[in-house]
Amino acid sequence: MIPLARRIWRVLATGFSFALFGFGGLAFTLFVVPVFRCLPGDARAREFRCQYAIHKCFGWFVRVMEFLGLLAVEVRNVERLSEPGQLIVANHPTLLDVVFLVSKLPQADCVVKRAVMANPVMRSAVVASGYFANDPGDALIEACAGRLAEDRTLLLFPEGTRTEDGRLGPFRRGAAHVALRSGRPLRPVVIHCHPPSLMRGQRWYQVADRKLRIVLECCEAIGPGEMPAGTGRGAAARRLSSRLRDFYAKRLQNLDS
Amino acid sequence: MPSRNEIIAMVKEVLQQEFDLTDVELNLDTHLVDDLDLDSIDAIDMAVRLEERTGLHFEDDELKSLQTIGDIVDKIDGRL
Repeated sequence: MIPLARRIWRVLATGFSFALFGFGGLAFTLFVVPVFRCLPGDARAREFRCQYAIHKCFGWFVRVMEFLGLLAVEVRNVERLSEPGQLIVANHPTLLDVVFLVSKLPQADCVVKRAVMANPVMRSAVVASGYFANDPGDALIEACAGRLAEDRTLLLFPEGTRTEDGRLGPFRRGAAHVALRSGRPLRPVVIHCHPPSLMRGQRWYQVADRKLRIVLECCEAIGPGEMPAGTGRGAAARRLSSRLRDFYAKRLQNLDS
Repeated sequence: MPSRNEIIAMVKEVLQQEFDLTDVELNLDTHLVDDLDLDSIDAIDMAVRLEERTGLHFEDDELKSLQTIGDIVDKIDGRL
């Protein structure tokens, strides 16, 4: 296919994909969530049901994008995600990182922006899934640790947001605090997108000139390690967060090369 | 009652010990967020340590108003 025709196709296919995502989300909120609310079971069962449905929908969405030739997703060591009650962390190079990851996680509690919680279209699905808002403070850390104590898998993005150039951004220390509070190790998933695309500030139609190659590398867990006696909570979180970011920087360097 | 210099030394010691800031120069103008990267959880931990050392209790609104090391020192100095 000549470059211009290929570009037009990629813009149209990308527009279709995002429209599908938007209308699919609306349909999910209007038709699926109310049905789930009526089904028997306690709050946990209802949340798991909703999370599983989102997992399946995201899986189908990724397959549509792959079918359209927009991207190809490769997941390495996916079996490492199967154990319940894990604290999964990931870098955040693209708009669709949560979609790629949740499509591999039948159950995952997510932390979403307060704006998403306030969005009338998304709110009911987010609440029905038991997701949290990323309000600053100790209550969020406690809530996250509580979910892990119930053997629920938790997904966090330590960068908090995407960067404008797709490079690794600074890490906030919330994930490290959750790991220290819960006693659970961090399970890093390294996400690599080539060529860099779907970054912060990019418009949907600013598409790459070729198929995106997305690699999700599920890595060995990182524990807090030995901390000297008397190490403050803040210092421990800084050290663990710094180790985690160094780990990501090295892995991404390897994937780049 | 501790002198102002003793309060300054105590605040610096709390920050250094609690947040691994031994290789950072701390002075009264040092900004807690911009220079030391303290977040909301750190602010709570800092308040707990300062409460242990001074016996003073810091309300949430007071914590939010603290921008620099100088602000912390002024707050403690004014209440001791």
